[in-house]
Amino acid sequence: MSGLRITTAAEGTTHRVVLTGELDHETAPELERTLARLPQAAGHRLVIDLSGLALCDSSGLTTFIVARERALAAGTGFELTAPPPPVSRMLRVTGLDRVLLARHPQDA
Amino acid sequence: MSVAGHQVEEPEDREASFSALLEDSMEDLYDNAPCGYLSTLLDGEIAKVNATLLTWLGYRREDLVGRRSFADLLSVGGKLYHETHYAPMLRMHGEARELALDLVTADGHRLPVLVTATVKKNQDGDPLLVRITVFDARERRAYERELLRARREAERERERLQRLTSTLQRTLLPAELPEVLGLEIAAHYHAASSDQVGGDFYDVFPLDADRWGFFLGDVCGKGPQAAVLTSLTRYTLRAAAVHDTDPVAVLSTLNSVLRQRHDPGAPRFCTVVFGLLQPDGDDFAVSLASGGHPPPLVIRADGEVDVLTTPGGQLVGALPDAHFVATSARLTPGDVLVLYTDGLTEARRADGLMLGEDEERLPALAAGFAGTGARAVVDSLAEVLTAWADEPSDDTAILALGPRPPEAR
Amino acid sequence: MDVWSRNHVTVTGPEGGRPLVFSHGFGCDQNMWRLVAPAFAADHRVVLFDHVGAGRSDLSAWDPERYSSLEGYAADVLEIMAELDLRDAVFVGHSVSAMIGVLASVADPSRFGGLVLVGPSPRYVDDGDYRGGFSAADIEELLDSLDSNYLGWSAAMAPAIMGVPERPELGQELTESFCRTDPAIARHFARVTFLSDNRDDLAAVTVPSLVLQCREDIIAAPAVGEFVHRRLRGSELVLLDATGHCPHLSAPEQTTAAIAEFLRRRSSS
Repeated sequence: MSGLRITTAAEGTTHRVVLTGELDHETAPELERTLARLPQAAGHRLVIDLSGLALCDSSGLTTFIVARERALAAGTGFELTAPPPPVSRMLRVTGLDRVLLARHPQDA
Repeated sequence: MSVAGHQVEEPEDREASFSALLEDSMEDLYDNAPCGYLSTLLDGEIAKVNATLLTWLGYRREDLVGRRSFADLLSVGGKLYHETHYAPMLRMHGEARELALDLVTADGHRLPVLVTATVKKNQDGDPLLVRITVFDARERRAYERELLRARREAERERERLQRLTSTLQRTLLPAELPEVLGLEIAAHYHAASSDQVGGDFYDVFPLDADRWGFFLGDVCGKGPQAAVLTSLTRYTLRAAAVHDTDPVAVLSTLNSVLRQRHDPGAPRFCTVVFGLLQPDGDDFAVSLASGGHPPPLVIRADGEVDVLTTPGGQLVGALPDAHFVATSARLTPGDVLVLYTDGLTEARRADGLMLGEDEERLPALAAGFAGTGARAVVDSLAEVLTAWADEPSDDTAILALGPRPPEAR
Repeated sequence: MDVWSRNHVTVTGPEGGRPLVFSHGFGCDQNMWRLVAPAFAADHRVVLFDHVGAGRSDLSAWDPERYSSLEGYAADVLEIMAELDLRDAVFVGHSVSAMIGVLASVADPSRFGGLVLVGPSPRYVDDGDYRGGFSAADIEELLDSLDSNYLGWSAAMAPAIMGVPERPELGQELTESFCRTDPAIARHFARVTFLSDNRDDLAAVTVPSLVLQCREDIIAAPAVGEFVHRRLRGSELVLLDATGHCPHLSAPEQTTAAIAEFLRRRSSS
């Protein structure tokens, strides 16, 4: 059964979202709603952990782009971490790796 | 045995009280059953009929028994159905169940009914007569007719939608590819859904006397919004190339245009490869830029496959200052440049494996088609796709350009 | 196209026996012949088949264009005869298949030794002085009857409402029932059957023919059987003491005897 599990945890001003399962046109709206509800403020950070993502399609990509724009507008830091190889490849092909992936993994 | 402190009657007492309460006249049970009941000879002649059915139909017993056959009670359409379906089924099966028929009453009205019939046999198994129950089905039939009407309506609407979609889809793809001297051009388009306009697009068009532009891409989303975006993208690419043929400049213009009406909640972006093609002797020089699109392949005549990567090229429309990267290639006769969308590489096999999961798979497959020409490469890749995924779930576009050998021009 | 699976062709009887091809009418399949056909299998090559859309035929072979007239069905008959390389075959066609046999024998008489037409009608709808027995409105009513009865197959209904044309479950549903027919195809076949006009084709038949007519038959009345008999040159007419449209089911002995007599005279002449 396909599906996406979303868990969120706050550590101070950092919100960590862990995704497990498949992020596609069926599950992306739920992620979008979850991310839209997270408080955003200057100095906050939003970190999305992709390590459990078995699949990510263009709807998932759209969701990340929307979330990033919203975060940037609010002054919140935004980054994706630990993409599994297929997701990593997708981010690389679309050139989004440099915008969406954490540049300094040790900070994440 | 007691229930809540009350003594329950002994079984014999209960039977006696039921007997007093219920009609135990078999005749009454038959005649006034809440359904119509009749018996006919094997040829359909009515031999016995209950009062309920006579009341429904407005006939007297003597009008029917020995005078009419069951089929006589049916509407003409019902008679035809009776002869072509009901009677054969009864003969072959010994029963016919839940047939929807219309009976015609004495005053000419229609009574929709459900009919079940069984053949009564003697001890030797020879058929003797037919027993038929008739249930009033007026409300059920009205409901079913409504259901049927709704189904027809839905089917018509669906056909209309599909016609509209295919018309729209055609306007988003070139009606025909141009003739370019010395170049074989072939394309394949697979729309995953006949109800929705796909998001893949491509085109090849003349820029000036000896230069051609080409592009292939994939917009985000599906349906009407994707169609609008595809249309905008196609015209922007063609117009931008008129002003400045540099592929990176063309993609930058597209990025600006897509950002102009930027809605943060609903990003409009696409991935696309835009290229220029210029004949040079028997060869063609290709320069292209990619905006976040899977890398084109050059299948060399000798079986080598070059993957035209453009590291760092970003998808178009998603970021204010997107970065695009150019590359170039020279196509000699027998080489084929192949552009494709992720519908090909992300096609999933029954076990879930993507065709492009292993990045080496597509180039390795393509190598097998070396020297066959652009049309054959496109057809072979389309076959690869359908062999990999029975019903590809995403749209797929493939465009191939290959210089013909001089002797074949 | 493999005609064996397309038409679920079954062959019994000795290889060298005279070919006897049984062709079922609208509403049923080759099972209709099971009270008659076995009687001939001892000394005839008995060929049974299902028209495309009926019985165990290959539904994927159905093509609304090919089967938009009886000629398409006649072409199937000729393809079956060619596949089996039948010569001098006697074709026994019930109801609409009688006209399918007429068309096939006119198209290629070389394969036919005779035609047995069971309850034939070249035109069901009244036309001027011709009395086929039905009005166009009656035929529409039959189509409604078909719709009403196929409604019971809710498995076929629900996906159509949801706009999913594939109906894999339908096949399973149908396997259980005798006289299996795909509802959409049945409706189409009914229209083609009951609205066709083959009166002018009868005069073109050159092979010997026998008309089997029931005493009472509301679908093909005795007057229609006589019309067919008059138009078919040199045909024989046998009036069966049977009622209904399916004498091969309601009076199989008489039907068998009449066919046997026709065969006997055809082989001795």
